[in-house]
Order: sequence, then C-alpha cells, then structure tokens
Amino acid sequence: MSDNNSTDSDGPGIDAADLQRPPAEVRHADELNRLRATDTGARPPGWWLSMDAARRFIVGDEAGGISRKFVGDPSLIDRSLVTLATSRGLMLVGEPGTAKSLLSELIAAAVSGVSTLTVQGGAATTEDQIKYSWNYALLVSEGPSPRSLVPAPMLRGMAEGRVVRFEEITRCPLEVQDSMLSLLSERVLAVPELTGRDGMVFARDGFNVIATANTRDRGVNEMSAALKRRFNFETVFPISDFKTELALVEQEAGALLRRSGVEAPQRRDVLEVLVHAFRDLRGGSGRDGERLSTVMSTAEAVSVAHAVGLRGWFLRREPGAPADIVACLAGTAAKDDAEDLARLRRYLEQQAPRRSGSAWSELHGARYLLPG
Amino acid sequence: MPAEFIGVRHHSPACARLVAARIAELRPAYVLVEGPVDMNDRLDELLLGHELPIAVFSYLRAEGGTRMSWSPFCDHSPEWVALTAGRAAGAEVRFIDLPAWHSAFAERDNRYSDGALRYSEVTARLCREFAVDNSDTLWDHMVEVHADLDPVALAERLNTYFDVLRGETTISTADDDRETYMAAWVRAAVAAAGDRPVLVITGGLHRPALIPLAATGGTAWPEVPTPPAGSEGDSYLVPYSNRRLDAFQGYQSGLPSPGYYERLWADGPARAAEGLLESVATRLRDRNQRVSTADLIAARTQAGGLAALRGHPHPARTDVLDALVSALVSDGLEQRLPWTSDGTIAPGAHPVVVQMVAALTGDRVGRLHDATPAPPLLSAVDGELAALALDRAGRVTLDLTGERDLRRSRVLHRLRVLGIPGVRRTSGPTGGADPTSAEVWELTETDLRLPALIEAAAYGATLPDAAAVLIRRRVTDPDTGVAELAAALYDTALCGVDALSSDLGERIADRVATASDLGAVGAALGTVLGLWRHDRLLGSAGSPVLAEVIDAAATRVLWLAEGTHGGTGPADVPRLHALAALRDALRHAEPVVGVRLVDVLGVAQRIATRADVPPDLAGAGLGLSWALGAPGEVHVPTAPNRMGDWLAGLFALAREEVLADESVLATLDGHVADLGDDDFLVALPALRQAFAFFPPAERETIAHGLLARRGLRRSARALLRTTVDPVLAAEAAALESRVEDLLVREGLLPGSSPQTPEGTHD
Repeated sequence: MSDNNSTDSDGPGIDAADLQRPPAEVRHADELNRLRATDTGARPPGWWLSMDAARRFIVGDEAGGISRKFVGDPSLIDRSLVTLATSRGLMLVGEPGTAKSLLSELIAAAVSGVSTLTVQGGAATTEDQIKYSWNYALLVSEGPSPRSLVPAPMLRGMAEGRVVRFEEITRCPLEVQDSMLSLLSERVLAVPELTGRDGMVFARDGFNVIATANTRDRGVNEMSAALKRRFNFETVFPISDFKTELALVEQEAGALLRRSGVEAPQRRDVLEVLVHAFRDLRGGSGRDGERLSTVMSTAEAVSVAHAVGLRGWFLRREPGAPADIVACLAGTAAKDDAEDLARLRRYLEQQAPRRSGSAWSELHGARYLLPG
Repeated sequence: MPAEFIGVRHHSPACARLVAARIAELRPAYVLVEGPVDMNDRLDELLLGHELPIAVFSYLRAEGGTRMSWSPFCDHSPEWVALTAGRAAGAEVRFIDLPAWHSAFAERDNRYSDGALRYSEVTARLCREFAVDNSDTLWDHMVEVHADLDPVALAERLNTYFDVLRGETTISTADDDRETYMAAWVRAAVAAAGDRPVLVITGGLHRPALIPLAATGGTAWPEVPTPPAGSEGDSYLVPYSNRRLDAFQGYQSGLPSPGYYERLWADGPARAAEGLLESVATRLRDRNQRVSTADLIAARTQAGGLAALRGHPHPARTDVLDALVSALVSDGLEQRLPWTSDGTIAPGAHPVVVQMVAALTGDRVGRLHDATPAPPLLSAVDGELAALALDRAGRVTLDLTGERDLRRSRVLHRLRVLGIPGVRRTSGPTGGADPTSAEVWELTETDLRLPALIEAAAYGATLPDAAAVLIRRRVTDPDTGVAELAAALYDTALCGVDALSSDLGERIADRVATASDLGAVGAALGTVLGLWRHDRLLGSAGSPVLAEVIDAAATRVLWLAEGTHGGTGPADVPRLHALAALRDALRHAEPVVGVRLVDVLGVAQRIATRADVPPDLAGAGLGLSWALGAPGEVHVPTAPNRMGDWLAGLFALAREEVLADESVLATLDGHVADLGDDDFLVALPALRQAFAFFPPAERETIAHGLLARRGLRRSARALLRTTVDPVLAAEAAALESRVEDLLVREGLLPGSSPQTPEGTHD
C-alpha cells in the first residue's frame, strides 16, 4: 500500500521491457490503441472501448490484425460484456487453470483500459484491502483527511469509473465477501471518518466488478445468496477441442521457453502426447481416462510443457522427450494425493502402449521414472 | 426455360418463406421437392389436412432384417410449404428423391438431417470468422434472424453459403446416386413444362451439384424404383411430435429447437424471442423454481444487449437463451450449455437449462386426418382388441387356464413385445416353472400408441406375424446376450407365436455353445428347462427346439464349470445356480441331454477335488455328484475363509441330501465350535449366505439337530429368531473383541500386565 496516492501509473505507458509479466493493457497496448483509434461503435457510459471493439480485442479479428487471446466459446465473451454494461457484476467460475483470471484481466483491460485494480482474495483478506485504509503518520498528524486516506481498489474503481477485479472471492471469509453487498447495490462507498462530500464516494459510470471463483474451492467459503444475486455467473470450461488446446499449449509453452533462453523448438509429437495425456487424465475425454484428483488444466499442461523443454535443453541440449514428460508429470500428479501417482502409473502402463506412435512407446518405456 | 433451384435447410422457416414467395411469384408448372418418390401417387393423402408435425414412415422388410426411416414435416418445413403452396398455385407437385428404403439411405434414419452442415471444416472456419459458437448459431445469425430480408437477397445469401460448403465437403456415393436420380426428374419436368417455369426445392448442399447435372442428359421421366425381390417395403404417414423431431442426434439431426422455429414461422423473430422468454419463465414457475420479475427484466435487458452486440435486428434464439442463463443461473455449471456445444443435454444438467431446452423443443404433437390410410396391422389389432374386450383402459385380470383369457393374454403379450405403449403387465408368471396362472394387466390410453403401431407394421401385417418377426430378430441379433436369449424364448411362449423354426433352435444352441459367462448360460438353461418341462399352460412343454437348446446349454455349463479356476473368493451365486440348473436338466430331462451321466459325475468329482478350484465351485461339484446319486467323501474345509463359500456351493446343489445325512452338519458344527473368535467373524458372512439356501422349515430342522447334539431341550424356532439384526450382532462381537485386545495390551484386565514396558501414561 506504499504507493497509495501515487499518480495513475497503470495503463499504457509502463516500460514493459524488464517486467516478468506486464499487465494486459501493456502487453497488448498496440492492439488496444489501434482498436480505440478505429472504434466507431457506441460506447457504454464510462467504457474505454465500444462493446464490439472490446469483443474483438478478446476473441480476435483476423482482418483487423487483432490476435485471439481467449480460446473458448465466443458467446461467453458476449454474455460477459453485456453483463458488465448492466448493474450486475460478473462472476467467472470454473476449475482452476481454465484461464478465468486471464479472461477477467483481458475484459478489464478492454472495458476500462486498466486491469490492475485487483483484490486478491484469501483467508487474510480484510475490508481495508477492499475499500480503504489510512496512512497512519498523516492520520496522526493531520487527522482523517482525503490526504491521509489510502484508497484500495474498490474505492478507486468507483471513484474513477473502472472495472475492479476480485480474484478468488470464495477464499475470503463470508463477512468480508458481504462487505461488497452495499457497494454493489447502492453503488456508493461511505467513509464515515471524513465529512462533507468526501465522506461519500459515489460510483461513476464504467464501474463494475469481475469476480472469479474456483469450483474446486466450493465449500471452503460458500457465497451468500445475497451476493450471488448481485452477480451474473459465467462458467468457464476446459478447452473442448484437442487441436485448439494443442495449439494453445504449443504457443504458450513456446513463448515461455524462448523467454527462458531455450533455442531448440519443441517436438510436435511430444506435445501431442502431453496434451492427450492431460485430457485423458482430466477424465474429460475418452473412456480410457483415469481421472486424477489433481487439476489437470491447460495451464498446468503449459507449465509441464515448459518444464519438459527446460529439462531437455539444459540437461542434454536437445528438445524435451517423452521421458521428461513422465518426470515432470510425477511432480504434477503427486502434488496432493499419493493415489494419483498410482493412477498415473496405471495410465502409463495400461493406456500408453495402446496408442500408436513412437512418442507413446517412449512414454510407456519411461514409466519407471515415476518415483516409488 | 431452365429450372430454378432453391437450396434450403430442412425445417428452416426462412427457407420456407423463400419457397412460398418464389412460388407466388413464378406460378411454376412444376414444383419438384426432395422427398420420397414412391409417395407421388399418394400426395393427396399427405394433403388431407393433418395437424403437423407428421412424418412419412418407410420400411423395408427383407431376409437380413427390417430397415426403417422417417421423412418428417412440420409447418415450417420448406418441403411442406412447397407441397401445399405449389398445389394451391396449380402447379404439378412431385417428390423426386429415391425412396427411403433405397440403399442410398442405408445409413440414415432421418431423410432431412444435416450432418455435413454441422461437421465440416468450412463451418468451423465460418464460426470462427463470425465469432459464434456453432453452426446452428451461425445459421440463426446469417439467416433466421433477418426476417425482413427480401427473397432475392436471402436466396443469394443461401446460395453463397451452400456453394462454399459444398465446395469443401466430400459427398458420399449414396448422395451421388440421389443427385443423379433427382437431376433426371428435373430434366424431364423442364422438358414437359415447355416455356413455363420449374421450381426445384432440395437441400442446399445438393443444389450446386444438381444445376450442372440437370443441364445435360435424357428427358424421359425416371422410373420409380421398386423394392428388391424377396423384400417388402412400404410407406405410411405417422403422427410425429416436436420431441421426436428434436431427438435425432449427431449426423441424423436436423435443425434443432422446433418449438422456437414454429413460433418464428408463425409470428416472426421479435415475437418468437418474447415467446421463448415467456415460455421458459412459465415452465420454471410451474415447477416451483424462483423466477422474479427482476430476473425477467434482467433477462430482457441482457437479450437486447446481446442482440445489439451481435448485430441482430431482434434477439435471436441464442441471444434469448444466453440472456436467460445469465439472469437465472447463479451457480457454476457442471456441463457446457447445450446450445453452445453439440446440443445434447446430459443427466445432471442445471434445472433452468433443462427447462430452457424443453421450451425450445416445444410440446406440439401431430395428428393424422381420420381418413388417412393405415397399415393393415392397425385394423387387425383394433379388431382383435375389440373382439377380446381389451379396447378400453383399465385393469384386466386374466386366468391363464381359461382358453379365452389365454388368447387375451397372448394378444397383450404380442403388443408388449412390439413395444406398444399403454400395455403393461403388473403381475403374472415369471418362468416356465412358475405355478402362477393369473396375470394382471394395466391398459392405458396414450397418443403414442398410434405411431408405435404404424411403425410396428414394419414387422408384419398381423399381430402374431409382427411379434414373431421381432422376437426372431432379437434372437438372431448377435448383440443379444445369452440371458436375453432365454427371455426371448420365454416371450415366444407367452405370445403363443411360432417364432422358432428348427434352424433357429440350432442357431441359439450355437450361441449358447460359445458363450463364456457361466451364470448367464445357467440362467438360460433354467428358463428353457422350465418351459420344456412345465409349460403346458403356454404350450411349450416338450418342444424339440427347446430340447436342442437344453442340450447345448447343459453341455456348456459343464465345460465352463470345469474351466473355472481361481483362489479363495466370495461365492458366486449365479454360477451356483448354473450348476443347479444342470442338475435339474439331468434329473428331469436326461433323455434330451447329450452328455452321459457318468461323464457328468466324472467332471463333478474333478471339480470337487482339484486344488485350484474356488471353494464355492468345489462344494458345488461335490453337491452335484451327490445329488446325482454318487456321494463322494465329504471334507468340510476348516479354513475360515473357505468354509462358508464351500458350504454355499454344497447347499445350492445338494440341500436335501445334506439334510438327510446328519454327518455333514455334525462335522461342520465341530469345525465352527473350534474356530477362534476372530476366525469366526471371518467365516460368519459366508456361512450366513450358505445357510440362506435352506428354507425356514429346514433351518428349523437344522437347529433341532444342533440342540440335540448338545443334549439341550429348547425350542429350535427360538434359536432362529434373533431380536437384533445379525449384522449388528456381528459388529458388536467384533467391537468387543477389539476392546478386549486393547485391554489386554494395556494390562487393564485382571491378571494381565502391560505389553509396552515403557508405559508413558500417567
């Protein structure tokens, strides 16, 4: 909270060169600016782009040279954008690793031009981190004043008319979740310590909330019915199409590997085996699937593909091989359930040899690399 | 004058509108429609004034089996509009496609499906381009939602779409045959029409191929194909329903959501969207789901927003659906929304989504005009039911020993076998050996009966014929399991049909002889044996066909039983029943069983004595041999994990023999008394299962013996009646023994000392 009242440093203009992961509006600043420059559609009040341009920013537009940034049903994007233009918030739910956070970041960048007004939910999240807190030195010397107030994302989003992202909202205690209720329905945040006009922050046009929640966390903190009513729910599903998922893994892992200084391109057949195995183990495709209790998301597949490439390159100066998949999978699978390791072993022993192709037989041959 | 071709999507209201507009403007001499050419002589029948949806149901019954196919029509089918509007405009209307029984339709149940539209690369590319989820949404987006598009622009749009699609779609030879045939009709009609126009309405994918094909070639009217020799084919109209229209899946499916498109056709897209919203809300409220006014306002706003974003003049089908799901579903979903994926809905779908899909489908049910010709089966069934006083709803109780009631029972069973709705047996004999002779039936009236009966006509012209054909089909179907074979045989007896020619007996015998599931073969043997021995009531007693099956099944049981190896495991009751069925076959039907008794005894003794046989089977082997008059030496196993299972086998086969001979039970009594507490608990479940083979009276006899051996004089019956659940008692015993172990370990029982010397407890 130290950079509280600093000037609006978010948004296009950050020097992205040495950032590990710049925010979406910086990563795609060029596309956003182009869209805004050519945007002729009507903009909902307070929006940075028209709805159509925002949609093209996310689902892509080949003719306009806009890349596709989210792989999934286009109707999901339509529904989400229209929701944000109404008075209800948007709740993205789904399994971990289905790119909910990425989607919320992209939407926020498209709608507000800024995706960094973010509250990260957790057991330790307090109201201070959502609404506002105080700079205690100033508070003691001057008393409560707008100068000593440290605004948190909700207050800033309301005052500036921007989209606020609330990640993992179900990880917060119920009472903290409930503090959102009046903000969402009354669209006003009271600061009782301040007097006069400063004491009430009214939401400007363009303010709304995108929350994300994991379905695997269900039951950790159930959401109250009152809060549910203030959101439209959108479920984000794993990618249904093998080819699409493969292309995504190839692209994302390739980019990560380049950043890590790996020069050898990945082997296509190794990636195919990897993505196939992930889909089987997710239990979503085919009757051979042994469903693991660990989340076998596309994001996890990307990180395994990355690790496979790293192993191959830095250990042997060659692209990753199926044996590396086994070694990396062991870490993924055995993360929180020893039974998963047994399932993985059964999969490698019984399912891998049924598939044709040398990569599958290499995978089968490397099954002894599993620990235990 | 060359023909004008309109390429349509089947059941599309926009295409139907285009067809109507073109007919009104062109006043063509001929309207040629993709549809079964063998119905041309019966077009009047189609136009009698039915309530749609209806379908032309066609079948071909041949030696190899019966094939069926449907050509459904609803009010918004372009083909239907072509028929009705063409007729009204004074045009000659003709169907020009091959009959449904033709081999070109061998892989198709639904003439008007549009598989290629859904599953092609082009469609996928177009979907990406327009940023829509799938081909149905794409279709709405391009065609259906633009109700104000003028016919010329619409036709142009359709032609562009289908040309691109056809350009990249591989066409099967079956479709080639159909297109060649349809083109011949077009050429003949153009020649006959002279300078008057000819309008051709076919699926959009056929149009690009038909245009060049129709340009060159002979102009004689093509012949209407007749069913191949030795087979019988025909077509009838059947009432259809929106639900059936929507029920085709995958490649067989056509335009989904007939309920929605029916509104679109009648009232236009704006009112259709309203109607959909209203119908979903009503359905949900009828089912006590909470739908508040605020939700509806939110849904309507959302639908408007989505339509605007997607560039629709009015909310389209998926705009409304997407809006409803945003407004009404406030949970995570377990499965994809059906209209964003392949349209199917799996069990466990969100209740709101289920009702939305139901509202899309609609409830409309078609009705045929009273004067519609029906297949002979229909009048035969009606006549038979009236004669036997079975033509009204209610409960019917039959006494199968009476001749009239037996006839009534057979008629009802034939209807049941044909799967005609509204006929349900609530009780009655369940097998040949079942002494029950009363049957109770529940008869209800249902709209589904007529279509089912018309479709059953595919199997035969009279009720017994149709039932016999269907049972034969079940019996010869390689997918029918051995256990179902036996049920099919029982059905022949119940239906009183002679479905079993001698060659069929042989084929069943062959199937039984190669089956590998001992329990299933045993079940078949039991059923067939019951029919062969007892069923004078149904007239199957002593049937030579059944005798053949008995022989095959008995031999197979013997073979499979000897081939079963394995260690200790719980008793497998079906295989014990199989051996019991073999015992009965040898006792009561020895003349028809080909295996000699000595050989059976040899096998039985081998099973009983070999070491690698599971205990239940070993016991059953001994029991079989004993029951057939050759008691071997009885060695009751002493291992607690074998004892009960072994006894289950023995008791299943030779219960009476065991009772008559005191020694087995005495030995067993001794063994059980010698078991330690733990071992007893291990043996207990299997022992209980074993004694379940004795009926209560015999269990009392056993209890008597038990008391007598101990010199006690008490009521044996009291011993059998426990006041607590035995499972509970066993659990209590297990708990007690665990507690005692603990007490001993900790040295808390008098006279014991702690086993852990470094005791840290204070």
